[in-house]
Amino acid sequence: MQRRLANFNIWTVGAVVIIMMLFLPNLTIVTGLFTPSNDNWEHMKEFVLQQFVINSLILTLATATATILIGLSLAWLIAQYDFPFRRFLKWALILPLSIPPFIGAYTYHGILNFTGAVQTTLRDGFGMELDPAYFDIMNLPGAIFIYTMFLYPYVYTITQVYLSEQSASLIESTRLLGKGPWRTFFQVVLPISRISIIAGASLVVLEVLNDYGVVKYYGIQTFTTAIFQSWFGLGDLDTSIKLAASLMGFVIIILLIEKLLRGRRQYSYFSTKVRPLQLISLSGWKGFAAAGYGMLILSLGFFIPVIQLIDWTVLTFGTIPMEEFMRYVQNSVFVAALSATLIVVFALIVGNFARMVQGKYTKLLPKLTVLGYSIPGAVIAVAVVTAFVALDGYLAPLYLAIGLETTLVLSVSIVLLLSAYIIRFFAIGYNSIETGYDKIGTNFRDASRLLGAGPTKTFFKVDVPMMKGAIISGFILVFIDVLKEIPLTLILRPFNFDTLSTKAFQYASDEKIMEASQASLLIVGISALAIVIFYKILEKEMD
Amino acid sequence: MKKLLSFLLVLGTLVVLAACGSSTTEESETSGDEASGNEVNLYTARHYDVDDELYKKFEEETGIKVNVIKGEADELLERIKREGDATQADLFLTADAGRLHRAKEDGILQSVSSDVLDEQVPANFQDEDQVWYGLTKRARVIMYDKEKVDPSELSTYEALAEDEWAGRVLIRSSENIYNQSLFASLIELNGEEEAKEWAAGMVDNFARDPEGGDRDQAKAIAAGVGDVAIMNTYYYGQMLNSEDPEEVKVAESLGVFFPNQDTTGTHVNVSGAGVVKSSKNKENAIQLLEFLSAPEAQETFASANYEYPVNESVEPTELLQSWGDFKEQDISMSALGENNAQAILLFNEVGWK
Amino acid sequence: MFVAIEDVSFSYPNTQAPALDRFTLDIKKGEVISILGRSGSGKSTILRLLAGLERPKNGRLVIQDETLFDDKTFLQPEKRGIGMVFQDYALFPHMTVGANIMFGLSGMKKADKKRRMREMLELVELEEYEKRYPHQLSGGQQQRVAIARAIAPNPHLILLDEPFSNLDAELQGKIRKDLREILKKANITSIFVTHDEKDAHILADRIVKLKDGKMDFVGRPCDMLDTFRQEAIAESEEVLKSKPVVQV
Repeated sequence: MQRRLANFNIWTVGAVVIIMMLFLPNLTIVTGLFTPSNDNWEHMKEFVLQQFVINSLILTLATATATILIGLSLAWLIAQYDFPFRRFLKWALILPLSIPPFIGAYTYHGILNFTGAVQTTLRDGFGMELDPAYFDIMNLPGAIFIYTMFLYPYVYTITQVYLSEQSASLIESTRLLGKGPWRTFFQVVLPISRISIIAGASLVVLEVLNDYGVVKYYGIQTFTTAIFQSWFGLGDLDTSIKLAASLMGFVIIILLIEKLLRGRRQYSYFSTKVRPLQLISLSGWKGFAAAGYGMLILSLGFFIPVIQLIDWTVLTFGTIPMEEFMRYVQNSVFVAALSATLIVVFALIVGNFARMVQGKYTKLLPKLTVLGYSIPGAVIAVAVVTAFVALDGYLAPLYLAIGLETTLVLSVSIVLLLSAYIIRFFAIGYNSIETGYDKIGTNFRDASRLLGAGPTKTFFKVDVPMMKGAIISGFILVFIDVLKEIPLTLILRPFNFDTLSTKAFQYASDEKIMEASQASLLIVGISALAIVIFYKILEKEMD
Repeated sequence: MKKLLSFLLVLGTLVVLAACGSSTTEESETSGDEASGNEVNLYTARHYDVDDELYKKFEEETGIKVNVIKGEADELLERIKREGDATQADLFLTADAGRLHRAKEDGILQSVSSDVLDEQVPANFQDEDQVWYGLTKRARVIMYDKEKVDPSELSTYEALAEDEWAGRVLIRSSENIYNQSLFASLIELNGEEEAKEWAAGMVDNFARDPEGGDRDQAKAIAAGVGDVAIMNTYYYGQMLNSEDPEEVKVAESLGVFFPNQDTTGTHVNVSGAGVVKSSKNKENAIQLLEFLSAPEAQETFASANYEYPVNESVEPTELLQSWGDFKEQDISMSALGENNAQAILLFNEVGWK
Repeated sequence: MFVAIEDVSFSYPNTQAPALDRFTLDIKKGEVISILGRSGSGKSTILRLLAGLERPKNGRLVIQDETLFDDKTFLQPEKRGIGMVFQDYALFPHMTVGANIMFGLSGMKKADKKRRMREMLELVELEEYEKRYPHQLSGGQQQRVAIARAIAPNPHLILLDEPFSNLDAELQGKIRKDLREILKKANITSIFVTHDEKDAHILADRIVKLKDGKMDFVGRPCDMLDTFRQEAIAESEEVLKSKPVVQV
């Protein structure tokens, strides 16, 4: 408390206001925990909940493990070794993030099912009729595969940046101590990358927990299924909010574990010098093996689905109306860019606050803001609509005073959708920004203050320029996520507002996956472009 | 340079924010003006491209602008509920009678009477209190492998739960509303006890755990996973007309069977719409309903998605006619909604995933 | 008195023992004070409190008749006119050496800022390095830039936190001498914290020794030698006395 007083200023006020704004809608969900349980809740508990929870646990744990294995091994290869295609792979390996998992799920099923490319080729080309069960991807392992392939970049990017920038002396000294590459990996790389691995993997876990598209299509019943079953099926939103609140509790536990595991980390630049790791050149078959591994993952996570989408686009071209596509692109880019900007700005303010305060509990406050990320979008939508309708209620006299005929203004405007995005994706942006703040530590800020610069000047002249990498990466990650987002966009958009993802979903939900390919391809293309631009900027920064 | 960049970032945000703030007020202002009679606000869970064409045509004919939010039925329903009296929604359109019933139960729809609607929509496809009107209907039928199954072996939905079909039946998960409605109709017709036994028998006969959509069940027949599948007719129609020759091949290897012809009739469901209780454009909403159920619209509205029109003066498409006439379940559509929750609980109890 | 620290106490959040306990010290203008102590003795805390990076629990801080802190006042760090050289220098990596030094200069014309910056570079003998970035400099050079940056705005007081800990031994000797020269040349009151007695003896006019947040000794470097000798004698006597017991 004392320390906070020492730094009390407009920034603190701003941060607290933002935290409250982000948290209040979630409060509607938290209160759900305390509503009395009804028959439906009891029914769920008796018949399905146990299996659902087990499925969810398997799904999240297996996906987390797989994404860590793939993400870390790729990060390690790229950070430590030189091999053919390394420069290309370094950024291309982020590309799978541009494919929404539900589209990936549809696409892979499309490739592998009875009428898909694989079975058709085997059947017609080679006369082979294999047991279709071999190609069945619509099961738990299949879903784990889908999530892993399209989410591993979260672990990869964070870990790779960390290893390249931070680990040089540790890794080099290990090598000098005569440890081979495998022992270096397991005894040094793995433990020292712990923090970035956990940061990446917790994003993956949250993403898997709140996703509904993949598991619904693949017929896997998870905790999210229970939430929607009680809402859509039983028309019992109370029970579904109660379930969502339980999920939130689980997520809070994950966040606490993450905090504990991070422990008393010190990962600020110790000196102003960041020494890059010297690359070891892999020659001969080793080089090809490394390149092959990277290419394999990239193909599974990007090229194969994209080629299938292109194929479908060609197949169905002209069968669906496309005059409006330019507008969908504009709408998509507009909401994605705007919400990403807002999130980055808010995250900078909250992150600044987080490193200023010292109290044990105040430190946890900013963590509350990431809760939105764990909740299925549709449930957040309800919370946000409720909050905005209430807000409009308060503002109604004002609306009438300025001559509007309606009392629902904000709740039918794009502000509603943007707020929902911010609540939902704040975690993604905040994660990047927080890592950025961690990296620069507080000394530069203190130095600036002592040189006579106030908090605001310090923020713009010292913090922001030093965190450009974190700011850009936070922006891009949110941008891509909003571009892919579906339940919130679908339900909270204003009248006549279509985006690429609502369009893709419209066809996909109707089992017209081929017709969905054009909008999907545009989402992938724009996201991929964003990743390339992001990478180019970062590369320039490094020079 | 760097200082400039960061400054621009922040400035940009502020500008966009301000612009966004002002543009939204503009939007709502114009919509406020139009509220005086020139628009109708539609919340729809049906999102076919042909719907948009029809709305455009309606605009041209009447000068009434159709504003649309497309979403999932339950989420839209919840949004209308939360928006309360101030909601902008005038018409709620969805593709399932159960949902229409739930909307009615929630009290967000109002009763409207119109001679035109009474003439165009048969009584059994209207809500008994005229709160909603059906617009198209779809049948949930049995598809079978023409090579392995003789249609004479097929009779009813109920028969599929018998031992001879063990390991041969394909159907999607119980999360799907079409299955819930089918089950709800069987609860209505046969009683809870018998219906539950049926569901348990079905689970025993599954060729595999439910996965994928209706089309995937058809493909699984072709792949030899099972012999019969329960699916909606329009998916079959879509496959027959697919751009993918492989899908067409699959569809051609299947036959359509309308079950329960000698007993209770084939299960049908409707897509339909109702006027929102606090609608500010009630007359326009009714006009749109009348337009969508009129013969001209019915032809496209139903045929583009291989559905059956509700308006009896309109013939189904040739393809649908080629499958033959069939007897429909004779139950109130509201029953599908009334029994929906029960259906889900029973699905859970018998372990139908 | 130029700088007055009166009865200042402080403890870090979530800890029981005070990091600083009723600490009092007066400093004359131009004096170089060295604070000696083991890590955890509270020596860096004094610097952070003076700088305004931490807020004392109670007490009073005054520089040249201006109250920095008492019951009613807490002056923000940027208003205090105190310069600080951080242990790891904290040079802004995104700015050139010149820009780093000019950062603290405000309310001046651009040309004046430049002139002052060049003066400073001259003082620390790094004239050619104006356009370089910090990571292109050696440790010793970085330290001199940090000192130049801290001195440039003409602070009342300059604080140095373990200024030699990141330098190799050879460099330490040279820099120590340089630093004393620079400080005396600029006639700036300064406090530096160190764990190395040698630093303190060579640089300081007066030494303050801290133990567990309390003042253990204050005086001229030569006085300290005497106290130490006595302490050392006392300790060895004790050892001698206890020796037979150990052997049994």
